Amino acid sequence: MDWFFPEGIYTIAMVGSFVLGAFALKLPIAIALAAAAAVGALCGGAGFPIRHLVEGTFGYLDTILIIASAMIFMKSVQRSGLLESLAARIIRLFRSMPLMLSLGLMVIIMIPGMITGSSTAAVLTTGALVAPVMIKLGVPAVKTAAAIAMGAIYGMIAPPVNVPAMIIGGGIDMPYVGFALPLLVCTVPLAVFSALLLVYPYLKKGAGDEEALEEDLSRMEETPLTAGLLMPVILLAVLMSGEQFLPSVWPPLGMPVNFLLAALSSLLTGKKYNFLEASREAVNDAIPVLGILMGVGMFIQIMTLVGVQGFIVVSVLALPAWLMYFGMATSIPLFGAVSAFGSASVLGVPFLLALLGLDEIMVGSALSLLAGLGDLMPPTALAGIFAAQVVGEENYFKVLRHCFFPAVVTAVWAVVVIMNANTIMGYLP
Amino acid sequence: MTLIYRAIVLFILLLVVACQFREKDFWKQTTAALVIIPLVLRLLMIK
Amino acid sequence: MKIKGTPLTALLLLALALSVSALAATEFKSMWTDDLFVPAPGFEKHMLSEWFDGLKGTPADNPVYIQKGEEPGGTVLILGGTHPTEPAGMMAAVLFLERAKVSRGRLIIIPQTNIMGYSHTSPQEAHPRSISFTTADGGKRTFRFGSRLTNTLYEWPAPDIYIHPASGQQLPGKERGNINRCYPGIPDGSPTEQMAYGITQLILKEKPDLSFDLHEASPEYPVVNAIVAHERSMELAAMTVMDLEDMGIAMRLEPSPKNLRGLTHREWGDYTETMPILMETGNPVQGRLRGRTDEKLALTGVDKAYVVASALGRLYIPYDGKQTIEYRAGRHTTSILAFLDNLDLLFDDKGVSVEGVPNLAELEEKGLGFFLSPAGR
Ligand SMILES: [Zn+2]
Repeated sequence: MDWFFPEGIYTIAMVGSFVLGAFALKLPIAIALAAAAAVGALCGGAGFPIRHLVEGTFGYLDTILIIASAMIFMKSVQRSGLLESLAARIIRLFRSMPLMLSLGLMVIIMIPGMITGSSTAAVLTTGALVAPVMIKLGVPAVKTAAAIAMGAIYGMIAPPVNVPAMIIGGGIDMPYVGFALPLLVCTVPLAVFSALLLVYPYLKKGAGDEEALEEDLSRMEETPLTAGLLMPVILLAVLMSGEQFLPSVWPPLGMPVNFLLAALSSLLTGKKYNFLEASREAVNDAIPVLGILMGVGMFIQIMTLVGVQGFIVVSVLALPAWLMYFGMATSIPLFGAVSAFGSASVLGVPFLLALLGLDEIMVGSALSLLAGLGDLMPPTALAGIFAAQVVGEENYFKVLRHCFFPAVVTAVWAVVVIMNANTIMGYLP
Repeated sequence: MTLIYRAIVLFILLLVVACQFREKDFWKQTTAALVIIPLVLRLLMIK
Repeated sequence: MKIKGTPLTALLLLALALSVSALAATEFKSMWTDDLFVPAPGFEKHMLSEWFDGLKGTPADNPVYIQKGEEPGGTVLILGGTHPTEPAGMMAAVLFLERAKVSRGRLIIIPQTNIMGYSHTSPQEAHPRSISFTTADGGKRTFRFGSRLTNTLYEWPAPDIYIHPASGQQLPGKERGNINRCYPGIPDGSPTEQMAYGITQLILKEKPDLSFDLHEASPEYPVVNAIVAHERSMELAAMTVMDLEDMGIAMRLEPSPKNLRGLTHREWGDYTETMPILMETGNPVQGRLRGRTDEKLALTGVDKAYVVASALGRLYIPYDGKQTIEYRAGRHTTSILAFLDNLDLLFDDKGVSVEGVPNLAELEEKGLGFFLSPAGR
């Protein structure tokens, strides 16, 4: 009881008021989170701490700049006609090779996540690009979204850039070096599995309606796919890879600048459109997610302030050894509901410390995989929400339902990797 | 570089405010207000 | 709960958002004022820009205090506040600054090494903004409690990946604001890298024989209650650890890892001729297992989450329910004094003699505030 009181009560108050706000009062998730944070502070005897509530939001200031500019980029290439035209071309090229096409689509989805370390970037760039293609090829919209969400998460965890792994490593002063192969071990089998599960069956069946497809294709090709039209995508790829692979000579522009430059370049090609109007619409689509991140920031700061964070972390660490692996496979993704990066920091680091006998790089990689799953966890579910958005599905829970099985397999794989970390590391060069 | 990023913050801030005024739902307007706070403080280089 | 939104409600909400921003702004700005230090007689105040003029007029220019004894001897450098979330490191340096009487050799002190980390606190850490002590005459001394990293305003935008210039080591981009990942620093780098460069220049020019970088670490982190020593400092450190053992102070001795770059104990050793020593005490307020986070936790280290974690065998310090700042700062001062004794023993002409600085027992008996100058009422 001593352990439970009062932090347990605060936990219940915070989670309770969130559930009440989000589900009973049907408030937007962002508002429910902010209100729950305020309730937690009040219960915890901190009054209405404006400084803490506002300071918490700054944990995601850079993230909201990235999301907003990525959304503007996506809207721009949609308006210029590039998105549809490129999708049509890909379908024509690979229609007759379903296996190659499923795996290829998965890789295409993963690439921006690999380079930027952000699942959102993956969903909103190549995810948005392949979504119409996959639907035309006969993959149901929700399965398309599920495949995009899973691919985006594997991309975010796959090397070269994996922010949760950097956060977890940073917590024990482990440099982000030598992670490439362990991260591939963590992600490649799962990416193949998800492609085979969610995409391949439909491509193989050729479930698409050939005539309708042909009609759609010719409509999509209305704006001819010239090198000029492709410029925004090429520019973005160049900017992102330049920053990643030539860090010593390339100016560190950062993702927001990269996205905005690429978006602006789309004005020079394809169909004419109003950039400001497109940007406003993009930001309008993004506001719910930006708001959720602000709410999450407040929530975490208050959790830390009133002691809920320590209560949760130590409670999880107190689990008996046999429950420990189960505990990490569930608590890290669950906490990811608040934020995948937050989860990596709050839970990933203590678990890594608890597992110090095993190879740290392998364990850190697998823990980052679990943290990545957090991007599927409602209410934030960044990967799920955006994936639903790119296929035009309003209820993202329908998408998450199809992610459930691959996600469980992912969590199990992460635990298997952790338990055998030293053995696996022994096989790697 | 900092100046460029301040300009981006300003750009996004103005877009959020524009959306806030066109929005027909009070709670979505409130969500926009949440986003405005850190953008303003960073634009002015206070936090 | 549906409510209609109109341009009027939008205007009201915008006004509300701006008022909240204004209120929050006054709180954030309250950390922009420098702390007051009352150096002991004999200290001269310098600025870091005297060793690297690129820092002049920038937020990275930082006070450096020097006291020279009557007798010639060696030179010792003490850095506190490399990480502003580790207050015992700063307070140990402050105790030397406000109490030390140097009779032989030279003492150089930088109490708030990353001074750019003191003007803000990190998001989502919920740390207190200051810690206060009651002085012997009942007055109050207050010091800021900042962030592990340089104020975001000076390092924004952070790169996605921070590439350590001297080695190519990759770290999360925000670590560019961690001065203890930036050494030896570069003259045209980011503000934090420039500051690290300034400190390296100071060491090259003033040639301290022995240089301390005072830290604290989470109780659940293996390198805690520890001395980390460069190869060159190892013999001296080993002697000191044995002396501390005799005084009942258990201390781990860790060799500076060769592949972890940008840290004082590695780069000062490789790029200058000083003997670098980094010391860590156990500090619950920076740990990830901590419960309620406030000034009291920073000062007392009393935390029930750490009691449970200790019972679970998760900690690397003996934890009896508290870790007071007196105990933590006292470990630092006592260790430094023991180092000074051994410096004299090992290198005849390099000795530095310092009186007046309280050791662990004195701090625990009288409280840290007792040893601070009664100023700043
Ligand atoms: Zn430190």
